[in-house]
Amino acid sequence: MIQHLDVDGVPTLLAPTGGPMRAGLTFRVGTADETLGRAGITHLLEHLALAPLGLADYHVNGATAQAFTTFHTTGSETDIAAFLTAVCGHLRELPVARLDIEKDILRTEWSSRGAAAVDDIPLWRHGARDYGLTSYPEWGLNALTADDLRAWSARWFTRENAVLWIAGDRVPAGLRLPLPAGTRQAVPVASSALPRTPAYFVSGSRAVVLDSVVRRRTAAGVFAAVLERELYRSLRQDAGLSYTTTTGYDPRGDGYATLRALADALPEKQDAVLGGFIDVLAKMRVGRIEQADLDATIAKREDFLGIAEVDAARLPSYALNVLTGEPNLSIDEHRAELKAVDLADLHEVAGEVMASALLMVPGGLTADWAGFVAAPTHSADVVQGTTYASRGGNGGLRIGVDGVSLLRADSPLTVRYADCSAMLVWPDGARQLIGSDAIALHIEPTLFNLHPAALPVIDAQVPADRQIAMPARTPESIPQPQAAERQPGQSADRSWWEVPVMALSGVATLLVGGFNLLLTLAMFTTETEPGDEWLWGVVAVLWLLAVILALPIVLVWRRRRR
Amino acid sequence: MIPAMPAPLPAPTFDPGAAYPEVNDLHKALVAADWPAVQAVFANRDHGHRAMLVGMAGERSGTEPFLRRVYDHDPTDALAGALLGNSLIRTGWRIRSSYRAQHVSREQFDQFHDHLRRAEQVLIDVTARHPADSAAWTQRITIARGLELGQAEARRRYDRLAQHHPHHAPAQSSLLQKLCPKWSGDWDRAFAFARECGQAAPEGAPNAVVLAEAHLERWLDFDTDRERIAYVHSAPVIAEIMQAGLRSVLHPAYVDRDDWVWIRSVFALMFSLTGQWGPAASQFTVLGNLGTDYPWDYVDGAEGFTKYRNLAYAKGGRS
Repeated sequence: MIQHLDVDGVPTLLAPTGGPMRAGLTFRVGTADETLGRAGITHLLEHLALAPLGLADYHVNGATAQAFTTFHTTGSETDIAAFLTAVCGHLRELPVARLDIEKDILRTEWSSRGAAAVDDIPLWRHGARDYGLTSYPEWGLNALTADDLRAWSARWFTRENAVLWIAGDRVPAGLRLPLPAGTRQAVPVASSALPRTPAYFVSGSRAVVLDSVVRRRTAAGVFAAVLERELYRSLRQDAGLSYTTTTGYDPRGDGYATLRALADALPEKQDAVLGGFIDVLAKMRVGRIEQADLDATIAKREDFLGIAEVDAARLPSYALNVLTGEPNLSIDEHRAELKAVDLADLHEVAGEVMASALLMVPGGLTADWAGFVAAPTHSADVVQGTTYASRGGNGGLRIGVDGVSLLRADSPLTVRYADCSAMLVWPDGARQLIGSDAIALHIEPTLFNLHPAALPVIDAQVPADRQIAMPARTPESIPQPQAAERQPGQSADRSWWEVPVMALSGVATLLVGGFNLLLTLAMFTTETEPGDEWLWGVVAVLWLLAVILALPIVLVWRRRRR
Repeated sequence: MIPAMPAPLPAPTFDPGAAYPEVNDLHKALVAADWPAVQAVFANRDHGHRAMLVGMAGERSGTEPFLRRVYDHDPTDALAGALLGNSLIRTGWRIRSSYRAQHVSREQFDQFHDHLRRAEQVLIDVTARHPADSAAWTQRITIARGLELGQAEARRRYDRLAQHHPHHAPAQSSLLQKLCPKWSGDWDRAFAFARECGQAAPEGAPNAVVLAEAHLERWLDFDTDRERIAYVHSAPVIAEIMQAGLRSVLHPAYVDRDDWVWIRSVFALMFSLTGQWGPAASQFTVLGNLGTDYPWDYVDGAEGFTKYRNLAYAKGGRS
């Protein structure tokens, strides 16, 4: 049984455990509530709230996810009460003295994290907004002020927007949750950057990953487990193509869930893993789902529902449902729903998976042959405005009243100011506009014949809170137009000696070659006298000499053409 | 005395209907858009014969709308799916024409690929529903080649088929093409696979034909006639063609089954090229005037057939 209680106005859930006491305080806020220009604000707040606690000798931690932020701990009753009370106190009175240190820690955390295969998927599915923001760096950190953080805290970290869960026999004595009053916040609406699905995009990773959105229900969770068994059997056991085959099922809080599947691949087997993966999906889609897989999955889940710790174990996910207002089932209701799942239900889930699928394929491969359309990598249209020619090659940059277009052969990039999630600003003049559809339009002023007033026009159109200051770049990292495109007369890296050397070499070649030509003709037209055969040797040596003398011309010429 | 003129040999024909009369029934049923009649042609055929007939059905163009209707009406019908897939592939390949890649226009390639993609999407479903369908898997190996889906993927498709039908010669022949350098493979892997096909199959089975084809492809790939002649006159090649023949068409246990015209055609040509005229003549005797586009298209079709048949009969004697 999970008890519903109340601590200082915060809904509180309590379930018994045979292990040590643990607790979690979860707020309905996460990266999906942020904007790209302020990305990282929730994570920074979470760090600030924990920072003054220093080194605890019991387990404490915080986690910022897409729609939830959780502080959790394991320890004695006193430790837990002290931890949660302190966290709430810090959220209310932010320890802003530590702001810069915590920003540095977050930057280090970002740069040292290993890039996972699935990191890019949210960006491709949702764009540079709400659920897609987790794909981006925490670009907002630099500009965030203490006031920004206080306002963010006041809006999201309130008692109405929180839920506390405790695995233990009672609410710790002396626990206070001094949170301000506020309102429960709805789950953000998930945007889509995919005009059509099933879609695919190409990644540098060696894994094949399927991302899909399905209606949240028991059958969908069961389907994920059944799919994992099928992938394991087909790709690992039978064909030996993959080592890792996993799936995941993650309710989003809005009635839908993200369902993912991953299979890794050896470099020389990536095409076969993709093919095998697509065949597994097809097998599920046509409804050839193994009853044994369904039975095994249900048995495993029923076992879980039967353990003594089941209520304590499901407290964290139960708490999320309380926050989002989604229903929570009793154990008996869970059992009944599991028992009711049949192959037809799984077949229906398979159809939803395919209809919403976004497939990530390894570099060099495509999935258009299997009916997946390429996710957009360029814009469908361009803005009207003034075009500035590129200094190297074709194309140009068009700046209009409502946006910017980078004109390329048949794949233009357009970002409209109204849809601009953020603009990266470098001190040397470079800009990168990121559209809400995740189209990134990079402007290097050195590569275009830009009017000096052009960049300020763009800067004036993008609101200040969407501009992200980037650190200065070294001169070598600023791209320059191709050497071939240089203006005539610019010959900075040509040496003074090149022309004289070529002239000398030419004259010497002409002299020796000319003389030798006459000698050769003479040798051919007159009978060689006995004893004069050595003259043929002279001819050969002189020709060789002419070639050697001509060599500097060739070498210098090639040097100049580079 | 004037020697008696031998009766002129009948002109060769590569029309599948000449060798397999049921193909004519099939074409008639397809043109008439008569699905029960199509089904009747396939009734009680084993998988090998069924796969062969599916392949031959695609030679008649214009059947796609009819097959699409039948398949859409019942997507669980493996035969309709396989025939539709084959029809799309053959139409696509006709658009590409049989030229080497550098002579095909961009537009031809786009249409070719588009047809193969449409075929693939039908056949993905057919193999998902009927994982043992040899006709559908064989076509998916061909598609892996045309769409350049990769060596490992072509091999995976073959392996899926081989789980159910370990010695399906047409699929082996299709994979061999993919393993050749012209489709981004290499000769080592091509020959390794070809030898494995012959050795793994029971004696008297036709699968050693894949090794004969590997030598044919190697022969064709040389740049000059001199190299080609040197190749087929080298002792190891002559010996290996003979071994392949002894394991298959020359083996006492060998019997002509599905695809026998193609199998004997390959051996007739390879025995001829390697100057083994006796065995060549014996193949031509059984073939009579029957042949298949592959391999004879490599030697000017009917012209090559006639030339080598005459040589074989002259030098190897008519058995």
